[in-house]
Amino acid sequence: MRTRARQPGRRAARSVAAAVAALAVAVGLAACANGIEGPVEATGAKVELENKASGTLVISNWPLYIDKKTVPNFEKATGINVEYHEDINSNEEFFNKMQPQLSAGESGGRSIFVLADYMVAKMIKLGYLQELDKEALPEVEANLSQSLRHPPFDPERNYSVPWQSGMTGIIVNKELAPEVHSICDLFNPKYKGKVDFLNEVREAVPLVMKCEGVDTEKATEADWMRAIEKIQSAAAEGQIRRFTGNDYAQDLTNGNAVAVMGWSGDAVQLQADNPNLEWRMPTEGCMLWSEDMIIPVGAPNPTAAEAFMNYVYKPEVQANITEYVNYVSPVEGVQEILVKREPELGNNHLIFPSASFTKNCSPTPTLEGEEEKNVIKAFDEVLNG
Amino acid sequence: MAAALRRRSLAYFLLAPGTLWLVVFFVIPLYFMAKLSLDTEIPGTLHYRFVWEWSNYKEALELYDTQFVRSFIYAGIATLLCLLIAYPLAYVIAFKAGRWRNLMLFAVVAPFFTTYLVRTLAWETILSDESPVTEFLHAIGLAPGGHILATGFAVIAGITYNFLPFMVLPLYASLERIDVRVLEASKDLYASAASTFWKVTLPLSLPGVVAGTLLTFIPAVGDYVNAQFLGGVNNRMIGNVIQSLYLTQSDYPAAAALSFVLMAVIMIVVFVYIRFAGSEALMGQEAA
Repeated sequence: MRTRARQPGRRAARSVAAAVAALAVAVGLAACANGIEGPVEATGAKVELENKASGTLVISNWPLYIDKKTVPNFEKATGINVEYHEDINSNEEFFNKMQPQLSAGESGGRSIFVLADYMVAKMIKLGYLQELDKEALPEVEANLSQSLRHPPFDPERNYSVPWQSGMTGIIVNKELAPEVHSICDLFNPKYKGKVDFLNEVREAVPLVMKCEGVDTEKATEADWMRAIEKIQSAAAEGQIRRFTGNDYAQDLTNGNAVAVMGWSGDAVQLQADNPNLEWRMPTEGCMLWSEDMIIPVGAPNPTAAEAFMNYVYKPEVQANITEYVNYVSPVEGVQEILVKREPELGNNHLIFPSASFTKNCSPTPTLEGEEEKNVIKAFDEVLNG
Repeated sequence: MAAALRRRSLAYFLLAPGTLWLVVFFVIPLYFMAKLSLDTEIPGTLHYRFVWEWSNYKEALELYDTQFVRSFIYAGIATLLCLLIAYPLAYVIAFKAGRWRNLMLFAVVAPFFTTYLVRTLAWETILSDESPVTEFLHAIGLAPGGHILATGFAVIAGITYNFLPFMVLPLYASLERIDVRVLEASKDLYASAASTFWKVTLPLSLPGVVAGTLLTFIPAVGDYVNAQFLGGVNNRMIGNVIQSLYLTQSDYPAAAALSFVLMAVIMIVVFVYIRFAGSEALMGQEAA
């Protein structure tokens, strides 16, 4: 009697166990397929164009990095339906979230990412990008700024099309930190606890190397490490308040910081709110960077993606974007339009820097291999205090 | 007999959703994390191979022992502060609030209607260098370092604020359960108010104290939001380190290893604490 009485209960337990096991296997399979573990798949696809761009296009970009008109206008002009996501907040974070899919040859349904040069370099090497078909990019061929045509990581622009460029220098509160003109000045004990550094290793560290008089384009691992040590001791002494991304803006407006490492486009917007804030070209020079549009492997509808790339390279379209984001445009012919339409922006040397203004500036270095690993590790140790 | 049997299978069915949930979203991920923590990278590929790489643990702990210890110190101080603030509050709500009781409980819970992130960001404004709060603290000599935001003080203040309701509610629940007649008996037997509190109220509320401290301490150790927004260069906690290992350095094995060590240490601390506080305190007086 007792044994029989237990059986139904056992049966129930067994069916629960079976269901659990089935789910476990399913989840296990999904986890194995996620691509972090397992063999390396060689990719390296090339865009195959269809006759006419149509359908849906999914774009991932940074927040507030496009004006409100461009996407609807593009949809009207082409009949393509655009899903525009502002879901990139950090190159590394976005890359690491996408990486398992990318290594399995999938793009998460997205067809365009906008990421920094160094990240694009890394993704080219890992085989995560599709080679572009330049057939569909005549506007890019015609209007891409000369200085951006042959970057070392993608000499013929086979994989990447610049979205916006910019300068990394210093943003100061003119009233509270009038004497800060150089990166070295950020180490002035007078401003102890009132200085923010960027948390981007490829910008913060080379800027400090510039203060040390190192040529960033020929810097050795030892140069990197020395600059990181300098940053570390400034952090330990309380000179550096914190390491930030865009959030230095908050510290500047709240009066928590009086001088920070910062980006040119942000400064144009910050200045509009608080005239005391000013972007300054460090006496040692600045860092130059671009963020590029790329088509990841497995991206659906690459034809529409290229149509979009081509569209934003029309100077009149690009002028709307520049007017909104205030970064340095990679498209030639924009200044002429903006000088007429809005002279204050058209003549702003932060948006249209002259060659003499940026003469001491250097491109953001792309680190590689072991050196990259060691440098990032050392810098992250400083960030983590 | 048949009824007993039906009851038994019913119990299994009631357990099923919880068990499934735990297995799928806890046990299986835990297994993959354990495996990942012993992986090594195939150089330059961001792909990993399982090789029993125990050195991941050693290296991660050597590099980040400071943040590890710091997390436990911050969480410990915050838990203690929560207890000191929450106990009198819960006491008043349970015994003295009268018709205000529900309103006061609502006030404790109300901050939860806004998100954690927004509440923490609000503290960034409250503690900023030129805010009235900071100026007041300066005036009474409580801000020796020059600024409050971007210090350990701010991180601990943020954690204390954010986790306070987790302390108040269990304390309130156990205080509210106390039979008032027991307190009256104590008074009848000529115990002073103080000795009634120490000998009757406090021991009876211990389950609330234990539950509240655990609910506060455990999530506080792993918290990274407060250190991210309110901390400065030397105030990052182990949660920040794990996040940056995962998302910035792409060092998944080290991140997994650290997560495991964190979990193990928390479990040991909790185990010791419960042994010390007595498991009957956790389970309530019925178990005593």
